[in-house]
Amino acid sequence: MWKRIKKDKVLYLLMLPAMLYFLIFHVWPILEMRLAFYDYRIVGDNIFVGWKHFKTLFSTPAFYNIIKNTLVISFMKIVLFFPLPVAFALALNEMRTRHFRKVVQVVSYLPHFLSWVVIAGIWYEFLSPSNGLVMDIVAAFGGERVNLLTDKNSILWVLFASSTWRSMGWDSIIYLSAILGIDTALYEAARMDGAGRWKTIRYIILPALAGPMVTVLILNVGFVMSAGYDQILNFTNDAVLSRVDILDTYVYRIGLLQGQYSFATAANLFKGVIGTAMILLTHFTSKKLTGKGAW
Amino acid sequence: MKRKKKKFDPGELVLNLFMLVIALTMLIPILNLLAKSLSDPSLVPRMKGYQVWPSGLDLIHYEVIFSNQIIWTALKNSLFITIVGVVVNILVTTSLAYALTRPNLVGKKVIMVFLIVMMIFEPGIIQEYFVMKDVHLLDSLWSMVLYRSVSVYNVILLMRFFSETPEALLEAARIDGAGHIKILFSIFLPLNKIPIITVGMFYAVYRWNEFFHSSIFLSSRGNTVLQVFLRQFVVEGDTTALSALGTLDLSAINVSALRAATIIVTMVPILLLYPFILKYYTSGVLAGGVKE
Repeated sequence: MWKRIKKDKVLYLLMLPAMLYFLIFHVWPILEMRLAFYDYRIVGDNIFVGWKHFKTLFSTPAFYNIIKNTLVISFMKIVLFFPLPVAFALALNEMRTRHFRKVVQVVSYLPHFLSWVVIAGIWYEFLSPSNGLVMDIVAAFGGERVNLLTDKNSILWVLFASSTWRSMGWDSIIYLSAILGIDTALYEAARMDGAGRWKTIRYIILPALAGPMVTVLILNVGFVMSAGYDQILNFTNDAVLSRVDILDTYVYRIGLLQGQYSFATAANLFKGVIGTAMILLTHFTSKKLTGKGAW
Repeated sequence: MKRKKKKFDPGELVLNLFMLVIALTMLIPILNLLAKSLSDPSLVPRMKGYQVWPSGLDLIHYEVIFSNQIIWTALKNSLFITIVGVVVNILVTTSLAYALTRPNLVGKKVIMVFLIVMMIFEPGIIQEYFVMKDVHLLDSLWSMVLYRSVSVYNVILLMRFFSETPEALLEAARIDGAGHIKILFSIFLPLNKIPIITVGMFYAVYRWNEFFHSSIFLSSRGNTVLQVFLRQFVVEGDTTALSALGTLDLSAINVSALRAATIIVTMVPILLLYPFILKYYTSGVLAGGVKE
């Protein structure tokens, strides 16, 4: 074995930069997360306090609100959103005008590549009460111009709509490619049997999509603790904070902005442990059910 | 699958109209911003949300932006981090993926498990900040160049392609006495150009769009990046950076049009690369399966 290692020493050298990166920028900060069990001291050694910060965390009412927000937003983005890319892929597939279909594809994939900062900028204008498209339409139907971005009851739907706007097109690719992989002989056979458009979708296309649908749904559930802080950081404001504050934004605010490092690390560790367990659980479930895992 | 042309299909019409509405929902907000950014400041407040053409063509908002030193600094920093960062990404990712796909590598299993652990357990932002501080990279552009030097997902994606490279091609070079480094650069990389460009695109889009860690690691004005600047200006409504100009009369411009112009400028690199992004991304995502 040592002979083989020696022979391959160049290979280990090639792996060195990546390994150094992981050790310094990944493993080290993970180990530093033990701060959750210590009281932070600017000067001198941190003081070990055991589960103190976790106890405080679980007795903070705001924490339960944050967990609720995280789960509600995740539910919208995972479960409510889930059928939309499937339907979009089916619709794209039914379009007979090739050129127009291509245009719809190119346009609908674009938002996926824009940063959440840019998307927020676009949506602020889109939803602007004074001259945004949405409120122009509402006003045209006799509705009242309101600012949805600062309305507690609408903000979750703004998050859902903007994330759908960003992801629906792009997320349909996986389904579209599954549809394109269907044996054309099956369509012929269905047509011979007199199946129309709907029957073809129901009996030929949807069964072919079942596999990827199950995989996508299960694997997304693995990220239930995340809910998308990069979107929320750009759509949050004081008026709606109580509805959109999630674990990641809470850790950022309490920790980095307010300097309660130990307490925020405890919240972060809580999220990390549950999140990792969810990812592992969903990965192995998906692997078992569909043969495809997260890696 | 070909179908015979029918004379009129109401279902087809409804479907096409429906898809048109979806495409317009994605396009109009962007074009509306573009139109506002190119309009006469005094006419902007009266422009409707559906208007996709400028009212009284005027480039003043772009003049204001490009006469602003902060914008140039941010643009330069963003380009530096994206370009140097992607070079680092490609070097680190390809050499790791190459090494891991060589046959009979001792310890491969252990390394793979380590990488998967790295993929599923992310360190907290507070500790990432402290580590950057400890290695004295806070408020240095290199913090963002080195941050995410390699993503495990991309390593695994490249490994899938690399393991398909015929061993026979490499064998010939090996007999001629070429070592791993020579084989990697003269045979391996050219053979796998497409997957490497694909992974490079993944990294480039990520790096250009990154704002969260940049806003934490790069604190001084001189080290700001475009996304962070845009965020301060658009999301937090901070116009101090722009009003520090002095030379231009801010009352002569329209702030929302100015925001629009800044958003457009930040989007331009993505739009320029979009054809390539589509080409490579699509193949990469399909090869990688479900997750991006």
